[in-house]
Amino acid sequence: MASLITCPHCGVRPKEEFSIRGDAVPVRPAPNASDETWNRYVFVRDNPKGVIREYWHHVSGCRRYLVVERDNVSHAVLSVTDATVAGRAGQKEGVR
Amino acid sequence: MTISFAHRHVLEDHIIGFEMKPNAHHLSVSRRPTIVTVLAHAEAEEDVQLALDLLEDVSIRSCGPCEWLAVSQSSSPEALLRLLRAIPGSSAFDQSDGRVLMQISGPDVRRILAKCVGIDLHADVFAVGASGNMLIAHVAGNLARSGPDSFEIIVPRSYAGTVFEELKEMGREFALTAAFG
Repeated sequence: MASLITCPHCGVRPKEEFSIRGDAVPVRPAPNASDETWNRYVFVRDNPKGVIREYWHHVSGCRRYLVVERDNVSHAVLSVTDATVAGRAGQKEGVR
Repeated sequence: MTISFAHRHVLEDHIIGFEMKPNAHHLSVSRRPTIVTVLAHAEAEEDVQLALDLLEDVSIRSCGPCEWLAVSQSSSPEALLRLLRAIPGSSAFDQSDGRVLMQISGPDVRRILAKCVGIDLHADVFAVGASGNMLIAHVAGNLARSGPDSFEIIVPRSYAGTVFEELKEMGREFALTAAFG
């Protein structure tokens, strides 16, 4: 696993300072969405090989949620963004 | 009935025995520092940062976006709170009793800290005046560089004993001494 994460607020930090909070790809459906949609959002996860996006919580640093894009084959970290910034960017693109 | 409370430092039991002369490598524990958390309200981060930089006799430690620790050895918590609450767009809370401040110094201080801190402490990366939250001996604390060969550590009070003992262990090869200062 990637051992160094470059936090946008704190700089280069070891992975021990973080807690992985799960897949950042699923988008929360509307409250009145069908049970099937909610079931997919809550329970069904892909297990892709290659580039993945995850939420990482910088527990013992700045305590911010980050979106880490990394490759689970080569262990390369491609990008690290604050989850707020990533969320806003997603809204602009109309993803969220 | 009035109860009077005696202030007792949490590391009092860890620093016992006769007083030793400080060695070149020394860990000094502040008896009663004033430590205040400052939070900036939404979109006020830059203004608060500017106002904090103007304060005199107060050392500002960054903890992450919109959050700082203000440390003072001279003013009382009340006086510092009054000063900080006057800054528009900020909130300040006294943490003096909940945090422990330690200063570690010596020519090989970086080699001592390298055993319990996961970041690069070279002066090019972590310059004098730099600070940040990080794991210090597996405890989430704040580390600040106060000089080329001296660092200041702020840890939660309940973990101070562990961190103190760990630091002493790490500093044994350099004959690290510890005392209240």
